[in-house]
Amino acid sequence: MSVDPAILWLVGKDALWAGMAALGFAILFNVPVRALAACFVNGALGHALRSLLMHYGLGIEAATLAGAALIGFLGIASARLWKAPAPVFTIPGAITLVPGTFAFRTMLGLLQFAAATSSDAGGEILWNISFNATKTALILAAIAVGIATPTLLFDRRKPVV
Amino acid sequence: MSDSLIQPLPREELRDVIDLALWSGQLLLQHGAEAQRVEETVHRLGTALGCNWMDIVVSPNGLFVSTISGEEFRTKVRRVVSLGVDMTKVSAINRLTRRVVEGELDRAQVRSELERIVSTPTHYPRWLVVLMVGLACAAFSQLMGGDWAVFGATFLAAGTGMAVRQRLSSHHFNGLLVVIATALVAGGLAALFVRYGTGESRQIALAASVLLLVPGVPLINAAEDLIQGHILIGLARGMTGALISLSIALGLWLAMRLVGVSGL
Repeated sequence: MSVDPAILWLVGKDALWAGMAALGFAILFNVPVRALAACFVNGALGHALRSLLMHYGLGIEAATLAGAALIGFLGIASARLWKAPAPVFTIPGAITLVPGTFAFRTMLGLLQFAAATSSDAGGEILWNISFNATKTALILAAIAVGIATPTLLFDRRKPVV
Repeated sequence: MSDSLIQPLPREELRDVIDLALWSGQLLLQHGAEAQRVEETVHRLGTALGCNWMDIVVSPNGLFVSTISGEEFRTKVRRVVSLGVDMTKVSAINRLTRRVVEGELDRAQVRSELERIVSTPTHYPRWLVVLMVGLACAAFSQLMGGDWAVFGATFLAAGTGMAVRQRLSSHHFNGLLVVIATALVAGGLAALFVRYGTGESRQIALAASVLLLVPGVPLINAAEDLIQGHILIGLARGMTGALISLSIALGLWLAMRLVGVSGL
């Protein structure tokens, strides 16, 4: 199977910007300096995988699950290498997958609904609210399940508490 | 190792252990750790410092811990307020716990380590955070398909928003009020660009410029806590995330109305 170089270029750009975003949030979250590079790489690869899968027709929820799972596995590996707990590496990476725009649209929809003048307009706004809220919730669930995947599959310790 | 090998701790020492374990748990909960991590860490610390068992209840705004040693037990409650994500503190507590479990530190050393962790300032100066958060939001505008003008506008709007957020937070305004004001400033600058700027994709600046406020950590932690069976704190964190999102939308909506642009 040959890969179209145009797609490689797009995915590469996607990875670069996602890594940049992860790095910015890593600094906002006061991540230790030695972990910054790993945060960049995790965010870049996780988001690029999501974009690639979506390019090949997968839905955003399933693609997010795959991207977040990659971030989860990279997080475990980074945690071993750089001797810091996994969330230090997974959270900044996962931020790049968070459905911010869907969440804003849900809430803006609520504000618009309060000002709706007819039942037709209101109905459409309600549909938008439900759609965006559902997307937000499903994508968030996909992120959480994704980054917990390594723990859920391979690290099934007996609870200590 | 069986329990009979461990000498039961006297009540005085139990007080010390519960204080240290609770303090560590409080720091984790305050700075963005998930409930499971808080429970495990408090338990490991307490048992490594000589208790037979620890019982921990993590609630949305407090920690309840019981230390048990032999026949003796002590219980303490501490109120916890969220202070924003600080991965260096989470990481430092993790390392501290590992060293205690390996027997490297005694109680007095744990106390001075905790004092050091609390008093360590953040790694990054404020101007760097402003710069990097501005760049992060601008990077998001690229991911959403914006051009270079959108990139520049988002960088300026989000950076200014971050500076406003830092300033307001240091004056201890209500957290949601800070979010609304920040969204108003960042969204307002982006809306001005949408109104007077040029380019097909400039609408993107609106959503991208307020992404610095997205409650990613509360929402991801909420989902994680719910999956792991910590329903109460999961619901509370989800609610926090929803309220922050609503506040962002409110600030953005106000900005769009004031400047006179629509659509997201």
